[in-house]
Amino acid sequence: MATTVATAPTRDSRSMRVLKSPKTARILFPFAVLAVWYLIYYTIDSRIFPTPQKVAQFMWEEVTLTSGVRYSSVAENLYVQFAISLIRLTIGFFIALILGTVIGLAMGLSKSVNAFFHDWVMAILAMPALVWALFLGLALGFSHYGPILAVVLAGLPFVIINVREGVRNTPRELFDMARAFDVPQNKITRHVLLPSLMPFFFAAIRYAYAIGWKGLIIAEVFASDRGMGWTIKFWYDANRAHGVIGYALFFIIFAMVLEKLVFDRLADRAFKWRPQVNVVQMAEGDFGAVAQEALLVVESQSAESEGSDG
Amino acid sequence: MATETREKTPAARSAEEERLIALRKRDTRRRWFWRITGYVAVLGIWELASGWVLEENLLPGPIRIIETFPDLWNSGRFLQSYAATLTRIGIGFACAFGFGALLGVLTQNRWIDGFFKDAVTISLVSPGLIWALTGLVIWGFEPAGWIFAIFMTTFALVTVNVAEGIRALPKDLIDMSRAFGVTTWRRQREIVVPHLAPFLFTAVRFGFSVAWKVTVLTEVFSSNEGIGFEMRVASQLFRMDEFFTWALSFFIFTLILEKLVLQRYENKFFRWRQEVTV
Repeated sequence: MATTVATAPTRDSRSMRVLKSPKTARILFPFAVLAVWYLIYYTIDSRIFPTPQKVAQFMWEEVTLTSGVRYSSVAENLYVQFAISLIRLTIGFFIALILGTVIGLAMGLSKSVNAFFHDWVMAILAMPALVWALFLGLALGFSHYGPILAVVLAGLPFVIINVREGVRNTPRELFDMARAFDVPQNKITRHVLLPSLMPFFFAAIRYAYAIGWKGLIIAEVFASDRGMGWTIKFWYDANRAHGVIGYALFFIIFAMVLEKLVFDRLADRAFKWRPQVNVVQMAEGDFGAVAQEALLVVESQSAESEGSDG
Repeated sequence: MATETREKTPAARSAEEERLIALRKRDTRRRWFWRITGYVAVLGIWELASGWVLEENLLPGPIRIIETFPDLWNSGRFLQSYAATLTRIGIGFACAFGFGALLGVLTQNRWIDGFFKDAVTISLVSPGLIWALTGLVIWGFEPAGWIFAIFMTTFALVTVNVAEGIRALPKDLIDMSRAFGVTTWRRQREIVVPHLAPFLFTAVRFGFSVAWKVTVLTEVFSSNEGIGFEMRVASQLFRMDEFFTWALSFFIFTLILEKLVLQRYENKFFRWRQEVTV
């Protein structure tokens, strides 16, 4: 911190500086979690609450396939379950992306189309994934269709809203000027429309993927007999807390890796041409309340990632 | 704009203004036309789909859902379930809001920010299901289970919004108030709170919708009352009309809450800046 920087770099102040840096704090966090974990372990009146070692051992055995647990004949281990979930997620995500882009573009370009779809997009957005999961489980049975459709339904409103805002935010003056200077249409599309749509489209991809993932695993609990969601429910039904916590940690690790390695880098590339998206401007638009919520995920998380870079 | 035109006498309006008003009126009418068409189309497709595409017992149409509602209401379970679920949301979200807001203030310190950075990211990106199952497998039917689940899914939203709000505080106004010897209490009340308010409102709104989703999920797994429990029972007994009535009634409930309570309160709260926004 500023005060320590100002002092002479003696040995003591240097160690203090290391201790006071935000990086150290970040590294300290997992240890604090472990401490809290042990605190719960020694105070809770529960027979199944595991120690961290037990969970770590469980996770290690799952990763190295030495646990001896075979979930089912088709999807017998962690990797297969995970692959099944990812494939479902990817298929559903692309359907949502294509469908959402078409509807979003139409809604952004025409007020009538917007009025036609708006309330129903909000209704889909407000429905918990649980509703889709329970219904799809009954309607389609334990097939791939239920979970895939759940991903589509969860991700679709986010794509639609973000693409629509992207179209609305394209700078009209630039179009007029390009036309005045006889710029060919494909160049306008490439250099004006796409760059201004890009941040919104990127946000759509990011949140459709994240929300789709959340919807998918709930659907897998109720409308599937395999996949990551089903597996964590398997351990819950078996009343094995170490299994549930172990799989919860797998989920967290997956989400963090995706966030840090994929989306943060993609964000850097997507926003290279303009260093900052005006977050406030996006929030102050005239969306309905629920729409604002959809956008706020976008903002809060992009603010989050911007902050981590700085 | 509307107030501006009202102030003038009709005679003072120019032809241009008349044209603009007529245009806007036509626009509104057309928008409402398409909106109603949207409702008719979706509800019509839904009504037709039940019975034609899917069996009527599996996908009951909107008419049957409306017919089911009085039965549910008369059974007495309706208000009881709402009370149970809303209590849970209230308690869980109050914990999350308190902690999240405090954390949002504290993260102005870089060390604390670094310490909780991963916690906030984890809370934002991980699915609610894992918190629901983890909380329930540890604490079972005790309140700690669902409080944990609601807390873990919503506190980060509050934190991020509050931190964002503090970053957006007008430094110059605060400096000036300090230079002119305004008391701390007055400064908080008249500068800090009004500027933080919109961020808090979004936090509440967003937090509530996330909290409701995860609360319903915890009720499915371990509860004997509440909307989630009723939805599970209805789907297990294959009473899909009841199931959809529960789901839709809560959607309508949140709409009413949003339009009548939150928005009215917000308008009252933001009266001071109405001139700027209009």
